[in-house]
Amino acid sequence: MAITSETLDQLQGEPGWLRERRESALATFERLPAPSRTDEEWRRTDVSRLDPSRFSKLEHLDGHELVLPEALPEGVILEPLRVAAEKHRDLVEPRLFSLVHADRDRFTALHAALFTGGTFLYVPDGVVVDKPIIGQHFSHEAGTSVLPHTLIVAGKGSKFDYLDEYIAENDGEDGYRSGSTEIFLDEGAQVGYVAVQKWGRNVWHFSDQRAELLKDSSLHLFNVTLGGKFSKTRVEASLAGPGADAELKAIYFASGEQFFDFHTLQDHRVGNTRSDLLFKGALSDAARTVYAGLIRIEKHAARSDAYQANRNLVLSDHAKATSVPMLEIDNNDVRCTHGATVGPVDPEHLFYLRSRGIPEPTAKRMLIQGFFGDVLDRIPFEHARRLVEAELESRIG
Amino acid sequence: MADFEIKDLRASVEGRQILKGVSLDINKGEVHAVMGPNGSGKSTLSHTLMGHPGYSVDGGSVMFKGQNILDLEPDERARLGMFLALQYPVVVPGISMANFLRTALNSHRGYDGKDKSKAVSPKEFRGLLKDKLKVLHMDDSFLSRYINDGFSGGEKKRAEILQMAVLKPEIAILDETDSGLDIDSIKFVAEAVNRMRGPNLGVLIITHYTRILEFIQPDFVHVLVDGKFVLSGGSEVAERLEKTGYSEWGHAEETTPQEVA
Repeated sequence: MAITSETLDQLQGEPGWLRERRESALATFERLPAPSRTDEEWRRTDVSRLDPSRFSKLEHLDGHELVLPEALPEGVILEPLRVAAEKHRDLVEPRLFSLVHADRDRFTALHAALFTGGTFLYVPDGVVVDKPIIGQHFSHEAGTSVLPHTLIVAGKGSKFDYLDEYIAENDGEDGYRSGSTEIFLDEGAQVGYVAVQKWGRNVWHFSDQRAELLKDSSLHLFNVTLGGKFSKTRVEASLAGPGADAELKAIYFASGEQFFDFHTLQDHRVGNTRSDLLFKGALSDAARTVYAGLIRIEKHAARSDAYQANRNLVLSDHAKATSVPMLEIDNNDVRCTHGATVGPVDPEHLFYLRSRGIPEPTAKRMLIQGFFGDVLDRIPFEHARRLVEAELESRIG
Repeated sequence: MADFEIKDLRASVEGRQILKGVSLDINKGEVHAVMGPNGSGKSTLSHTLMGHPGYSVDGGSVMFKGQNILDLEPDERARLGMFLALQYPVVVPGISMANFLRTALNSHRGYDGKDKSKAVSPKEFRGLLKDKLKVLHMDDSFLSRYINDGFSGGEKKRAEILQMAVLKPEIAILDETDSGLDIDSIKFVAEAVNRMRGPNLGVLIITHYTRILEFIQPDFVHVLVDGKFVLSGGSEVAERLEKTGYSEWGHAEETTPQEVA
């Protein structure tokens, strides 16, 4: 069944402005060509076998679960995104898809047209939420689209942690999945955001995360990618005010024939800003990953610090990791480093552990855990750290 | 028959033969020193005995507890009771010393993650380490650090001996444990090794210099030159080397370390 405006009829009970947005995004989807492998971004990323219309049945709608701290402070709004579109139009309408643009590509457009729920979180100026807020997004059926969208607005000086968990009921299901996030950090806001993607192993997954950081705000963003036969994630931080600080970290573990693609952007639009990116992944079997990251320092962004590193641990001769760091610097008064490594478990490390009596499989497991160790320590809050450690342990086996 | 019997061991690295027939009997309770100039095959001997994948065995046998250990994997050799203190202990980020030591100890006890009764308890583990840390002049903070990460040369070597003390091998090979060590570290290491000496431990000290032998008295000294033993005897061999160096075998190298300014 083709994706048409009738597909949108599955999304009842929404305000007119949102329906118009969706119609417009759908038109964009129809207008945009499929990505070509002559585009640098899609050169190693093959979507030619994806036909989204196979997945025109939308699932999930508002079926996410929010795990709330016992009581949210006064003024905090936490609602299903579609509900918030009606009740808090003034807050939602100007921001929704203003960071993640619907016309970025066909898949972003499709997500903007069909997003099936998600969360709206608004934390007013000066408000601190002690315990993490957790959004869990479940898929229940094969052959459907599940497309949650998270919109987070952090008021001046607010402070909180948020976790998005994307969970498949059946690990073998196929389908179309996304999980996109927009985060607005007003002056001095401090936000921890963790996304754990563990959709089924046969789905197509597209994610666009973009944050805008105003003066003196800080973001600790952490991605964990485990699911999907195909998973493409964009992580972008726009450093728009002096003193803004973005820490962008990720771990991924690809096995079987999984393909993961990560594109990142550290966009230093003004001076005195800092970004620190570390993406670490392990690959086994015949898995493939692509990492491409851009540090962009704009002309007036003097005295900025930007760091970028991508490390890949390749556990099989048939697995392949590609890493492409890029710099675009229009100002000389900056500190900037980037680096990429792709390689197997160090045989000297393995020998050292084995020479102490540790059997090879245990030694390898320890070395993989050790590889992720320093980045796991950077997960911004305890609940997410425990969750990720457990997930990783089950993957490492 | 000796407890640990090396017979006509030949080994090569990257196709080049280094050990050209080494035979040595080690009994528990004995301390043997193997001395030799650079390039004589000392490291090849230690690494081949422990089964490092970069060294290939071309012939000979090493019998220990009724098995030719050359047929075993490195971890099997360790669990059988062998230990190698490396000349250059590697830094392994992300794994704490405590985790490393506990996993190694559990492996020796046959704990594979299932039968919890075999695993070392936290209390026993702490008790086990306490005295050993003290003898080596190491404090608890070592345990929470990543393996050898940020350790000084002396700390790395002491950490090797700590592992030896915890794992209680029957045959321990100390590969150039004295190289790069300050005199205090040598003394701490020697004291720890001397405490472990006894009827249940055979030691093979591999060294270029005689210095460590002042602190750990060997029962036997063997001189390795160009992949073969050229001289074996008691501690008088070390004294002879102290005076003449390796020159009588065509090597003009010092046997006492250069003072580092």
